[in-house]
Amino acid sequence: MNKSISLILVLFLSLAIVSPALAGGGGPPKDFKKGIFTAVNPVERTAEFRESGSEKTVTLLLGQALQPDDIKVDRKVMISLAEKDGHQFVKDVSIMFMGLTLQKIIALLLIGLIGGLLSGFIGSGGAFVLTPAMMSLGAPGAVAVASNMCHKFPKAMVGAYKRFKYGQADIKLGLVMAASAIAGVQIGIKIQKFILDAWGNAGSNLYVSVVFVIVLVVVGGYVFRDSLKLSKGGSDVETTKLALYLQKVKIPPMMHFKTAGVTLSAWVTIPVGLATGMLAATIAVGGFIGVPGMIYVVGASAIVASATELIVAFIMGLWGSVQWGLSGLIDIRLTLLILAGSLFGVQLGALGTTYVKDYVVKVVMGAVMLIVAVSRGAKVPVYLRDLGWMNLDATAERMLNHVSFWALIAALLTAGLIITGAMVKGMIRVRSEERQAAAEEIATNG
Amino acid sequence: MTQSRKKKPYMKAVVFGIFSIASYVLLFSRLEWVTEVYTKGGIYTVLPVTTALYFSFLHGAFASNVLDILGIEAAKSKSRH
Repeated sequence: MNKSISLILVLFLSLAIVSPALAGGGGPPKDFKKGIFTAVNPVERTAEFRESGSEKTVTLLLGQALQPDDIKVDRKVMISLAEKDGHQFVKDVSIMFMGLTLQKIIALLLIGLIGGLLSGFIGSGGAFVLTPAMMSLGAPGAVAVASNMCHKFPKAMVGAYKRFKYGQADIKLGLVMAASAIAGVQIGIKIQKFILDAWGNAGSNLYVSVVFVIVLVVVGGYVFRDSLKLSKGGSDVETTKLALYLQKVKIPPMMHFKTAGVTLSAWVTIPVGLATGMLAATIAVGGFIGVPGMIYVVGASAIVASATELIVAFIMGLWGSVQWGLSGLIDIRLTLLILAGSLFGVQLGALGTTYVKDYVVKVVMGAVMLIVAVSRGAKVPVYLRDLGWMNLDATAERMLNHVSFWALIAALLTAGLIITGAMVKGMIRVRSEERQAAAEEIATNG
Repeated sequence: MTQSRKKKPYMKAVVFGIFSIASYVLLFSRLEWVTEVYTKGGIYTVLPVTTALYFSFLHGAFASNVLDILGIEAAKSKSRH
């Protein structure tokens, strides 16, 4: 009991000391203003801007990249400012609240549903497609990240609750992972900042993509290969040699994780959490390292690891939402529309795990990671062009952007199909077993 | 005689459904005010975070009961891990 209390204290202490930039690829941006334009002067290329919460209107110069037509009067906007020769000018403008049509609402509900299904089943995922999808529907990047984050933590909470009820989620392992992941986020942000200062935005984008592709191809490939091996023969759950070796390391403090069924040194568990946090800060999908880490390093089964990841996602998502909310970036309409679909999806995905064998979670996770790697890999030439390291014309860039976006949709649909197929098959098998058992009972009892 | 079938939670689904839909309608019918206040930042962060939690309880319970009614339930056998 004392140990649990200390654990929770450590967790909250860690929460208190972290900077506002937690989760979601490095935290909310700082260099923007929210408000409305009240008038535009196309001749002088200036616009009158009133910042939210202020009565004062200021005159701003429009940057070269902006046309006076780009300025929409009397709509809430986010602007970013830059300075040149001592003059401040508007570099970028985006409408804060995108217009919602019936098609967009249906798209958000559907993506939420399938994203939730994936989350409930493999413990993470959804964010990698929800954020770009919201952006392609017209939401500014920062608003898309914030609104997704605010839908992630209640969804993860419901998923974690369901999977705890099925006896799959290890709360203690989840808390340890979350506390160390929070520290990992800090390290990840420091690395990001160093790269941003050294190589600028394009360098940072390239770094993020390269890390993304390498991690996803190596880890996703390993998970997928392992799942195929397990699907062909023999045992359902197999603890890796690495995990078995690490369980022999007896450096105190030792921790026992009841549901996962392992006892191991904190010196093994904490680095897995740190790596999860570092990856969350870099590519915003920490679960892609957290779940395989819990399976192959900690030694939990895929079902326990994916269930436990939902606890980690809840804690990190809640804290992340507070940080993005403090910057006033959450579009609650988007959050609630995705949530409407994902609360169905996450419960379906969670109950789906009770019908499948352990390796099916690995199949889905590996397949999703590999397809998402293709999506991010398609962006690498664009960043290389931005750095001046290669030539790329506009048509090729457009094509690569299409490949990148549709690969994400393909990842989501593939996962949705595998999960639904495995679940339906499992349900039919269980029902027929139940019918057979009932028939045998009647025959025996006369 | 086989065990009698579990009663489906029709009433619960209807009640949670009505509250959930009413909450969505209430919020979406005051969008101008909601989007303005919810994005003020600072202490107003409480609004989007608690709203998301509120909907996750209400709509989550509705979704859970609907799935039960549709007969989509977790396997009764002990989970595999």
